[in-house]
Amino acid sequence: MVSAVLRNTQSLWVILATFVVAALLLVLPLPGWLDYYRPEWMALVLIYWVMALPHRVGLISAWVLGFFVDVLEDSLLGLNGLVLALVAYMALSLYRRLRMFTMLQQSSTVFILVGLHQLVSFWVLTVSNQNTSPNLMFLVSAFSSALVWPLVFYLLRYLRRSFNVV
Amino acid sequence: MLALVLVSLILMFADSRFGYLQQVRFYASYTVTPIHWLSEIPQSVSNQLADVFRSRNELLEENERLQEELLMQQYQLQKIDHLSAENQRLSELLNASAIVDDIVVRAQLVSESPDPFRKQVLINKGTAHGVYEGQPVLDADGLFGQVTSVEPYYSWVQLITDSQHATPVQVNRNGVRAVVSGTQGSQHEMIMNNMTDTADIEVGDVLVTSGLGQRFPAGYRVGVITSIVRDPGQPFARVTVVPTAKLDSSRNLLLVF
Repeated sequence: MVSAVLRNTQSLWVILATFVVAALLLVLPLPGWLDYYRPEWMALVLIYWVMALPHRVGLISAWVLGFFVDVLEDSLLGLNGLVLALVAYMALSLYRRLRMFTMLQQSSTVFILVGLHQLVSFWVLTVSNQNTSPNLMFLVSAFSSALVWPLVFYLLRYLRRSFNVV
Repeated sequence: MLALVLVSLILMFADSRFGYLQQVRFYASYTVTPIHWLSEIPQSVSNQLADVFRSRNELLEENERLQEELLMQQYQLQKIDHLSAENQRLSELLNASAIVDDIVVRAQLVSESPDPFRKQVLINKGTAHGVYEGQPVLDADGLFGQVTSVEPYYSWVQLITDSQHATPVQVNRNGVRAVVSGTQGSQHEMIMNNMTDTADIEVGDVLVTSGLGQRFPAGYRVGVITSIVRDPGQPFARVTVVPTAKLDSSRNLLLVF
């Protein structure tokens, strides 16, 4: 009983730590031209945890996460909550298939999920009159997210197995 | 899902239309302060390493150059002292209000906005240092931007070239007033709004803040007019302005109090 509780809290800390690292990667200064290619780290880590532990990481945690991303990036409060909850929702309905997919299929799914993530935030920013993007460059990060997905996947799986996160 | 979407929508509406959520954002930003702090580390480490590995000759050269610069600027300051005193007397004669010296505090740029489409930077001073929303920010060469959102130890500064930003200016040569606003995409270009074809402006005119709009103190350099296109088919001339501040390379900024 006690060990189960301990393992529970340990799992929570590991998951939280990965999200903190993702937040760090999200705001880490990059040279200007690379900014367009910055993968949506938060969405990637979220997709992994939803896929691996759907009973633990779900819509509410995605939304709360998004709230803190908004505060971190000084964007419209609730925007990232909305899009991350959306990503989590889609990942939740796909997680059984995602687990069976090959890496290439997973990456393409990630491309679509992150692309929708970008598209919805683009819409919301347009509606709220805060859109400053002159072109479709905002979709580039969906591509780079799909590219780094295998890395994120294997790294997080390694973490999950070595820390026995359940 | 629907409930979350609804909550998000309400939150976003409240945030963009009314200022109810300033407090929430402020207190929540305590939790992200360590992340900003951590993201600062690679930069400060590389800066320190660069300081450690510098040759004596380089330092001597820099020292010499700086002393020369200092001499020149002190010489110019002598004249400015005299001029500002004279200016003060003249404006007293005219019963105009006194020109006050502004107090400035140094701040360091920490990072840029992760969103490449927003021209916004993070600086390492926050409410703990007295920073407030709307505060003007300068660099050594001109107006840099204004504080748009404050956190306890950091704050976000919107650059004057952001497409959401407009700066009230006047032409230094003749005092023509105008508003200069940022453009989408370009980092180095601003547009002078609603300038008629007959307005007395020339390429090379220096624009300074006019002090109208009560945001920016008057007299700080904003930019230089680089091109004027007078198209008879358009109601206004298309005037492009290049900011004098080094918006993409300045690290040391000044906060005006």
